[in-house]
This record gives sequence, structure tokens and C-alpha cells, in this order.
Amino acid sequence: MTPLLQITNLRASIDDREILKGIDLTVNPGEVHAIMGPNGSGKSTLASVLAGREDYTVTGGSVLFQGKELLELSPEERSREGLFLAFQYPVEIPGVSTANFVKTAVNEVRKHRGEEPLEPAAFLALMRERMALVEMDPSFLQRSLNEGFSGGEKKRNEIFQMAMLDPVVAVLDETDSGLDIDALRIVASGVNALRRPNNATVVITHYQRLLDHIVPDFVHVLWNGRIVRSGDKSLALELEQRGYDWLKQEASVEA
Amino acid sequence: MSQHALVELVQNLVPAHAGGDVSMGGHGRLSALRQDGLREFVRMGIPTTRHEEWKYTNVFPFIGLDYSYAPMRWDASSASAPAVVSAAEVRDALGQHISIRVLNGIVSVDAPQLPAGLEVIELTPELVESDAGVAAALSAGAPMHANPFVALNTALLESGIVIRLAKGLALELPIHVSIETTSGQQPMLVAPRILVIAHEGAEADIIQSHHASGPSIVLDATVVEFSVAAAANVRYHKIADDSESARSISSVTADVHRDASFTSHALSVGGRFVRNDLAVRLCEPSSQGFLYGVSLLAENEYTDNHTVVDHMLPHCHSEELYKGIYDGTSSGVFNGKIYVRPQAQKTTAYQSNHTLLLSPKAQVQAKPQLEIWADDVKCSHGATMGQVNDEAIFYFRSRGIDKDMAKALLTYAFITEVVEKITLDGLRELLTHRIARKLSAESLLF
Repeated sequence: MTPLLQITNLRASIDDREILKGIDLTVNPGEVHAIMGPNGSGKSTLASVLAGREDYTVTGGSVLFQGKELLELSPEERSREGLFLAFQYPVEIPGVSTANFVKTAVNEVRKHRGEEPLEPAAFLALMRERMALVEMDPSFLQRSLNEGFSGGEKKRNEIFQMAMLDPVVAVLDETDSGLDIDALRIVASGVNALRRPNNATVVITHYQRLLDHIVPDFVHVLWNGRIVRSGDKSLALELEQRGYDWLKQEASVEA
Repeated sequence: MSQHALVELVQNLVPAHAGGDVSMGGHGRLSALRQDGLREFVRMGIPTTRHEEWKYTNVFPFIGLDYSYAPMRWDASSASAPAVVSAAEVRDALGQHISIRVLNGIVSVDAPQLPAGLEVIELTPELVESDAGVAAALSAGAPMHANPFVALNTALLESGIVIRLAKGLALELPIHVSIETTSGQQPMLVAPRILVIAHEGAEADIIQSHHASGPSIVLDATVVEFSVAAAANVRYHKIADDSESARSISSVTADVHRDASFTSHALSVGGRFVRNDLAVRLCEPSSQGFLYGVSLLAENEYTDNHTVVDHMLPHCHSEELYKGIYDGTSSGVFNGKIYVRPQAQKTTAYQSNHTLLLSPKAQVQAKPQLEIWADDVKCSHGATMGQVNDEAIFYFRSRGIDKDMAKALLTYAFITEVVEKITLDGLRELLTHRIARKLSAESLLF
């Protein structure tokens, strides 16, 4: 079985400062991985590097996405191949409607797969169906993308886009930040509804509470640019009780 | 210093004698006005970049050419005028409309039957002599003493177009004035003069477009004057989407009276040199002015928008929104003056001007100028200048949309806010398509 995502000794820096110092992670079909860790440990950097944000320089290692070297692809190619990043801070785009944006994105992905663009009526029906997954009102389709959306609406819109693009691997970058408990439940149930045996989800989060709703198969703790501990969902509960300090100390001793 | 060739040309075209009764073969008001125009043009001369109003607008690369002049002649047999240049795209987009064409300076009116209450007539010495309203509107409107090209136009004023809307006429069909000029081996000068008189409560849409063709430069010094009577509502659209040979310097003025409204759309989607002077005078209480502008420029194109909104009396309202997108080595100017005179209490005046620079070599000069002499007013202005947001581009790319398409979509989005202000559906769609085409973003039209 080819892993969907195989990260080997990944190193990356920004402004000559090394943030990722050798990450190893393998994600197989059907799995949910949670990546936890204190602020500044490199969680969002990992998400950004996977998505291809150009502010970061990859200084070593490799990332195989379904057996193909991901780091050689542009951000748009990664998306078309089936990688999805749910943004921690979705960007507000005045003047571009949510419908136009999603339609353009979906048709680019379809073109990449050699498929015809969807007919407008079929497309609208699909959008309405997928919006229902995250309890989004269809009126959002005509509104400018994320403009004036609340924190919860922006995150639901991210999951709606994920549902439309139907990715192979979805990376959720602190999707729980800024969500109240109802929005958290809605977002999580949307993500769960999209789980299938042939795709996978990587959830990046500070807190255990999202993992009550999206139950991970594996939990990894990132600290100082490395994964210092991996375990099952009980690791997240342990972190919730004990904090990160004990792990930092252990990691320092090992280093 | 030797006399400038253009000044000499104009001098030779204006008859020396003035005064006398027109009906007796004399020269009357219009002739006197032309003499004033000539005198002012000679006095001011060609503006250099030392002139504050022309600081960034250098006319010298083309102003010294050896121009021939195509006078405005009136062609009574409207249907027979040949289509020198096709302005067909604009006409098709407008659907049913009233067409006035100025073909190498010859005016023809193409409408099987004008609606009752609408007059499209020739501006003749006889009309100016006999019609006090026309005479008053002519001398009150354009700033002949301040703008050399208005003075030039006035000096050459032999004939022009008067569009008159009767009291209460709500014109359903838009009026399209297309100024189509073909040069030969010699550069050509045209100076169309258009006077629009909207009587009380009248309502109309006017579209003006310029189309130059031929091997040599066409210098187009159009002057348009609007007199908008009480409770009238006039919407004016100037499309500049012209060929490499066009040099357009136009002056538009509007006097807006009680409870009346004047809206201007300056739509520049192409042109080697476009200078738009627009002055809106809110000269009676509760009048309104809306000024919108789009400049979408690439390569070596140039557009200069100089606007003035003059709040003369209380309770008037103005809104101004200009957006510009500059690619290649294109450049532009936005100079927006707002005067609020001492009597003009309870004025509301808002101006904003936003610029997107797509290339490191593109340039824009933005200058808001507010002079407020009354104390109980609400006025604001804002100007921004920037590049396409990198964070937004990355967001698009992370959804499978490549960089060029992301840039086009974001640029298109930037300008649609202004295009959507156009209430004529056909014209708005034409502009939308034209903009998408220019941005290579046709795929974004749904």
C-alpha cells in the first residue's frame, strides 16, 4: 500500500531561521492524524510548506504525495493533485463571489483530471448539497468570498470548499481556532462526513476539544521543529491534563 | 520664440471680423465667442508641465504636429453618411438607441423618428443669436479662460450639436454620440462641441465614444456642456477605448440645479493619451453629483482624470469613486478637487480613489484636493495604492487556480465595484466583457 503522504526528514526555514528540523510522518489511506504542540513549535509552518507557501525555503528532506514528489509542484498543482489546506486565517476577497471562486477552482481541478466543466445547473445543485454539510446558507454563494464573514462562517466556508474539491489529503490548520462550541461541532461533522477509506485528514490543533469530534488514529506532538512523541488518541488526553512541559523536558534531555 | 504651429492653425481658421447682426450677414454672438476663444487660446498657449493642471500631462510629443482641421459640418441627410470607422460594438451593445455620429467632423443623426420632446439640432450662429438659453449655456459652461483646449474648441466653434430634452421627458432610449475620425497622411484635429440641455424633470442616458483610425495622429479636443435643470436626471458615459493614433483631450462641465442629479462614468479601457477634465457644479440646493471612473491601462497607455466638484449652495451631495489598474509602462493621473463654498452648509461630499499597480514600471499620480469653507459639512476622501495581495494569490493557488488566473480574477474584482454603477445593462455588459478580455480573464465570466 502506497502511503498518501510520506514526509521524510523535512527541513524548512524562513529568513534563514530553521523552523522544521527534520520531520518524519507517514499518512496512510483512511487515517486521521492530529498534530499538536505549543505555540511556535512549527505546526503552521508544516502546513504552509505542504501547501507550497513561497515564504518558506525547504532546506532538506522529501514529501511524497501518493508516491510523487510534492515539493517539486506549484501550490496550484498540489491542489489539483488532491492536497487541500484549510486556512487558519481564510483571506477576504472583495468582489469575487464565493460561487465564482469555488466554480473556478473546481473547474481547474476537473480540467487537470481531464474532465469537462460541470454544467451550471448541476454545479449549483452540488454546491447547495455540500453547503448543507456545514449548515451554510446558500445566500453565501453570492457574497464576496469571506468578506464580512464571522470567524465560524469563514471556517465553515473552508470545509465547504474542501467538500467541493474532494481532496485526497486534507490538512486542517487550526480550524478550531476562533470557533464556539456549536460551530466546532458543525465543522467537525462536515469533516467526518467527508472521511472515506481512500482519503486522509491531518488535523493541526492546540487543543484536545476538536479531537473529541474528529477522533484521530494517531497523535503527534511537534516541538522545536521535530515530532517528539507519537501515540494514539490517549496522548491528546494526556497533554490536556499535563500540558507540554514534561515533553519539552524529555525532548531536551534526549537532544 | 516662434508662434506654435497649432496656435497658428487656429488663428488662420478664425475669421478676423466680429460683431454685426447674423441675419444681415453679420457675425453676432457666436462669432464674438469665437474671438474670445481665440484670444484666450493665444494668451494661454500650449500648457507645459510647469502648469499646475498639466504637471504630469505632457502634450508636447504630439501637439507640435502639422495638423489639418476637420470642421464640424452638419449633414442633413442623416442616413447617407458613410461609416468611416466602425463603432459598431458600442451600438450593438446598446441595443435600440438614438445614434448621433460625428464622422470626420460631419454630424449625422440616425434615428428614424426622434421621440417627442427630444431635439437634436445643429448649433449655428443663427441659433445662438436667437436662442437665449443656448447662448447662456454656451458661455456659462466650459472653462474657456482656464483650459487652453476649451479655448481652442471655442475658437473653432462653427457648428456643434445641441441635444435638448423637454420638460418632464423621461427618455427611454439612450443617446449614443460616437466621434469617429480617420486621418490620412496628415495628422488631424477635430473639436466637436456638444451642448446638452435637460429641462425640468427630464431624464436621459448619454454615451459618448471616440474612435480614431488611419495612419496619422488624431487630436480630438471635444467639449461637452450639460445644463441640468431642476429635478432633471442625466447620466453621462464617456468610453475611451481608442486606437494607438488617438490623442483625446476632453472637457465636460455640468451645471446641476435644484433637486437634479448628474452622474458621470469615465470609462477608460484603452488609449495612448486620454485627458478628461470634468467639472460638476452643484449650483442650487439639494442637487447631486456622482462621478465614477475606471482606468484599465496596459503597455504605454495614459489616462489623466482631472475632476472638480463645486458645492456652491447648501444641502448638495456628491460621491466620487475612481479606480485605476495600471500594467506595463502605463501611467495615469487622478486629480480630484472638491470645493465647498461658505454658503454650502449641510454638504455631503465623499471622494475615493484606488489604484492597483500590476507592474513595477507603471506609474500613477493621485492628488485629492479639498477646499472646505463651510463648517457644517460631511466630507471625506481616501486614496489607496497597492499591488495585488500576495496572500490572496496564495489562497487562490491553494485551490488549484494558477497565478495568472488568480491575478486576473483579483484585478477584475477590484474594478467591478465601479462598473456595477453603470445602470444601462447593455453598456455594463460591454464594459465587463471588454475588461475581462483586456485582463485575459474571459473564463471568469459566468
